Amino acid sequence: MERRSVIGGLGLGLAGAATLLSSSRARAEGKAFTVALIPGLTTDAFYITMHRGAAAAAKALGVNLVFQGAPSFNAVEQVPVLDAVIARKPDALLIAPTDKVQLIQPLQAAVSAGIPVITVDTYIGGGVYQTGSGNADFPLSYIASNNTLGGQMAARALAKAIGGKGKVYVSNVQPGVSTTDERQDGFIDEMKKSFPGITVLNTQFNDDDANKAASQSQSVLARNSDLAGIFGANLFSAMGAANGLQQGGAGGKVKVVAFDAPQTIIGNIKTGLIDIAIAQHPAEIGWFGVAAAYAHLTGQSIPPAIATGFTVIDKSNVDDASIQKFIYAS
Amino acid sequence: MSSALPTRSAPGNLRGRRIIAAVASARAWIFLLLLLVVFEIWSQIAYGSTFIFSSFNIRSVAVFAVAPVLLGLGQTLVIISGGIDLSVGFTMGLAAVIAAHVANDVGAFAGAPIGLLAGVVVALAATLIPGWINGLLIARLRIPPFIGTLGMYGVARGAAYLFAGGTTVPVDNSWLTYLGNGRILGIPVIVIVTVIFVALVHYLLSETQFGQYTYAIGGNRQATLRAGVNVRRVTIILYMLSALTAGIDGILYTGRFAAGAPQAGEPLLLDSIAAVVIGGASLFGGSGTIIGTIIGALIIAVIQYGLVFLNVEPFWQFIAVGLVIIVSVLVDQSQRRFGGGRQDE
Repeated sequence: MERRSVIGGLGLGLAGAATLLSSSRARAEGKAFTVALIPGLTTDAFYITMHRGAAAAAKALGVNLVFQGAPSFNAVEQVPVLDAVIARKPDALLIAPTDKVQLIQPLQAAVSAGIPVITVDTYIGGGVYQTGSGNADFPLSYIASNNTLGGQMAARALAKAIGGKGKVYVSNVQPGVSTTDERQDGFIDEMKKSFPGITVLNTQFNDDDANKAASQSQSVLARNSDLAGIFGANLFSAMGAANGLQQGGAGGKVKVVAFDAPQTIIGNIKTGLIDIAIAQHPAEIGWFGVAAAYAHLTGQSIPPAIATGFTVIDKSNVDDASIQKFIYAS
Repeated sequence: MSSALPTRSAPGNLRGRRIIAAVASARAWIFLLLLLVVFEIWSQIAYGSTFIFSSFNIRSVAVFAVAPVLLGLGQTLVIISGGIDLSVGFTMGLAAVIAAHVANDVGAFAGAPIGLLAGVVVALAATLIPGWINGLLIARLRIPPFIGTLGMYGVARGAAYLFAGGTTVPVDNSWLTYLGNGRILGIPVIVIVTVIFVALVHYLLSETQFGQYTYAIGGNRQATLRAGVNVRRVTIILYMLSALTAGIDGILYTGRFAAGAPQAGEPLLLDSIAAVVIGGASLFGGSGTIIGTIIGALIIAVIQYGLVFLNVEPFWQFIAVGLVIIVSVLVDQSQRRFGGGRQDE
């Protein structure tokens, strides 16, 4: 148990060291490329983990990596950061755009300045690049996990855990966020298609407030004594829902599936508060982002889309050595 | 606006005026009562089950209300004095993160109880710093509260994220999680802790000289100064108290969710201000009560919980809370107008 905090502390130190190392190690045979990574927000374990993967690839390839972003997930704060990064003329730009439409023009400016763009985790326009259609197909590649698929995997894992029958619902942040919308849609569609014994109740939106998510799960539980499972579409949705069950005396009885795998969720899996986590592979996204940029800069062709994977983490495998790399940490 | 109000000086309307004043002063209670009655009838008709006569529901609403109530306590004091504290949300997050770290680190070698104690002490001491700076900015440097605490909102936010390493800090301390999720005689511990602080702050505001000064500063700062009250000192203490209640909120959050989250209080700031306003405090200062704020927070909690319980489309929750705020302020305004109130225009 104490190991967790030690790992956390170590991770923090390592991230700093890795950044320093990667920027000081230039390739002897020529000019070192500089690649900028702009996350959706800087204060999120997912993007911090993506940075870790990107830093590993940068170190391996002798690339300078710049990591700069805004503290919250919105275009108004991200665009000034993007402009500042463009002004410093990196050789390539990796970005998780915070809006499908509002980031098109600012990213077009990067391309006009001669900086190739790759989007990671989120996309602009329709997310299908290099097709010659529309005004937002100019990024070279889109590297991300398929959130709809993630939602489907959550549905399968939850259905298995509750024996294919009972009531479930999605605890979600707010409507209109592409990634969480896709997780929800994937979850609900898969439940309807493959598990006729399961009833999906109304989605509850919590504004990313764990307290609200907890109140909602208590309320749904009070209304539906046969509630069997909850899918928390992000950290606070899952954390709050699980706490509501605990407060309501149904902890462990009603199964909770969480999307993403930060330390907090992993801790909750160990204590049994949360049953299953669908972990994305943000480090993989960062690694392939830098690798794709490097390939492009050295004259190789790169695929217009790279899909990264998922890992299902539960109590049976949470301590396995092979799982540790999927836990979000810097 | 007031030209269309012939009733103002009509003597025959004395009774009507009294009724309006009575309704206005008890409006939070009336709202809460109406809500409960409507939800109870609705629940009986639609589902054949009770809403209020269920200990499960009561407990759930109480647990939900804890976070906005604690933020609202300090916020009420500050608003009565004519100020506002926008920084409480992230002061709460800062306390949550510090409590988590200290409880983990101290608890690792000194055991869970000492870890909890250290976490509480260090987190609360830390929250006094932003509170004190807020007070200094506003009382000494005469910076408008809205701007001063907005600045501190950013500083506390950044500090909380820095301490947390940009993410949430998992907590491993059985005493802290008991504080957050345990029960004594069926009552959640966090509710008991909250009731104790409600009583303390209520006493401070209604029974002490300090409380009188707080109202006086909000009512007329200049006159209070001339009366020889140390307005600066009282103001600084008010903002420190506001930070302190936010800190307690953060510690309870950390215990409850077994995680110190920097953004824990971000969505709660507006709920806390709404609770204070629905509870009858004026944003111009000089009026308001702790009990009013508690009722305000309970109204928000009952709406949030009840509409989910009644299976209403989620977006109606926002509309319902928004309507209650508007109607509440309207009642307040009409009372001031008809009652020849002080601060109309």
